[in-house]
Amino acid sequence: MEACDTEEIRGADPCMKLALQQAKLALNNLEVPVGCIIIEDEKVIASGRNRTTETRNATRHAELEAVDILLDQWQKKGLSNVDIAKRFSKCTLYVTCEPCIMCAAALSIIGIKEVFYGCANDKFGGCGSILALHTSQSEWSTRDEVSNGKGFKCTGGIMVSEAISLLQSFYEQGNPNAPKPDRRPVHNL
Amino acid sequence: MPSTNGNIENEGYWKIVHIPDKLPIPPHLQPTVNVYASIINPKHANTLIRKLNKISLLEDLHHVKRICKRCVEGNVQLLMILCLASHDSGQLEDMPSEIAELIESYQLSTFITKVSKYPATSKEDWEEQCKLWPTSYHPPTYNIDGITGFSEENSQSILEFMKSAVDLAKSVDGQIVNAAVIVNPTSNQVVARSCDQWAEQQSQASCFRHPFHHAAMVAIENSAARDRYLFPASEPVGDNCCQADFVDSPLTVSPSKRQKINTNVEDSGIQNGETSACGSTPARPYLCTGYDIYLVWEPCIMCAMALVHQRIKRIFYAFPNPNAGALGKVMLSLQLLELIKTKCKFNRRDALQIISHL
Repeated sequence: MEACDTEEIRGADPCMKLALQQAKLALNNLEVPVGCIIIEDEKVIASGRNRTTETRNATRHAELEAVDILLDQWQKKGLSNVDIAKRFSKCTLYVTCEPCIMCAAALSIIGIKEVFYGCANDKFGGCGSILALHTSQSEWSTRDEVSNGKGFKCTGGIMVSEAISLLQSFYEQGNPNAPKPDRRPVHNL
Repeated sequence: MPSTNGNIENEGYWKIVHIPDKLPIPPHLQPTVNVYASIINPKHANTLIRKLNKISLLEDLHHVKRICKRCVEGNVQLLMILCLASHDSGQLEDMPSEIAELIESYQLSTFITKVSKYPATSKEDWEEQCKLWPTSYHPPTYNIDGITGFSEENSQSILEFMKSAVDLAKSVDGQIVNAAVIVNPTSNQVVARSCDQWAEQQSQASCFRHPFHHAAMVAIENSAARDRYLFPASEPVGDNCCQADFVDSPLTVSPSKRQKINTNVEDSGIQNGETSACGSTPARPYLCTGYDIYLVWEPCIMCAMALVHQRIKRIFYAFPNPNAGALGKVMLSLQLLELIKTKCKFNRRDALQIISHL
């Protein structure tokens, strides 16, 4: 897979393009078009897209999909929790829309190094829009036995218009999966 | 809050406590805003109100009355709010020019006074507000049954489900474990059960712990799996008012409980004012719309948001989690429950806590 430079914001665009490809894939599958990729050592090691409709599980957001792929891989390889934590601490996530509160909390639990996102999530954003979970440490941690939540670096606004136009094209046709009362723009992100 | 006098074991040791979406504020500490007001000539009251309504609408202060009558040394005085004032300045600089003209032409002597910022939510609040400046008070008209109050029967089934969640948690020995039970309250049917999965796996001597498989997340996946199993084709989602009532679920409860369910269906249907228009064909639910979840421990922030995503209606939990709990926490409970309300206009969701009295 394509390598890209995660050091500079300028290098973020090629990575975000890959995340947008995932979002398009979601759109083609009648899912809310949000996609992401995870990068370690300048290599894409996982990608994910929204699968909430297909799974009927509204927590199957792109971020959790991608992280679960890695967890599954690493578990099969026999990596210990400590090893897994070390790997995630070197990983950068590119996602087309700001992680929601759930995903931001999840990314904080695994201790991801850095997150780049496209458009903001005004309703459920967990990286500044509603809550700022990326800035906090122990306060939002889960039970100590599991893991301590860690803060992570977070930068938004990368290829915003592309991310938004995908979402718009989804909601223009009306979310075919939502029941009527919920059929209004931007939810389920 | 009704106490519970059921046949449940440990009767009297449990009670249901509602966790409000707003922190209670003592009546005398309600937030205020500054406004410009003036003593007016009663003869000018109507004209002034008409003019002010054109130039200075008190948009966010609908509850505040424009005019206040005061008795000073036997004389009745009329006071009128002209417009909002900024917080700090006693200057008239921030006053709109139209108001300034009004003051000029009616020879008004203005002063700054405080009025309550938000509508009163209780009679006590309202009485305290009126000491500052009169406001109007509209007691809540919505049906609060099932939100803050529970009938005897409902309380009993709530405690029973909570007890089953606690038992589920107990079954993983020696560890602090969370357990979750998702219930369709219209039929009292269990939709999904789960424990913290990392704990299960650990007890099987595996070193791997999935960091996200908290009980609530696993329960959501179990309910989704059930949905996929019962409705394999992607048929359209049933109406919100039609709560699915499945007969042959793979995850249903024991026969004895089933019996109880059947007797409860009618009652709960009537109580919730719901028509069982579904008839014999069960409608496919939209995620967990209308369902309740019972958790032994207060959900963490990830789980709390997940439950909102999955459209869970009410969250019951037994023990607050002071470190990671998302609902009881001041700031977060405010914000999350605000979210909960915006996410689902029609179903107000509430966080409820069942605490031990021991």
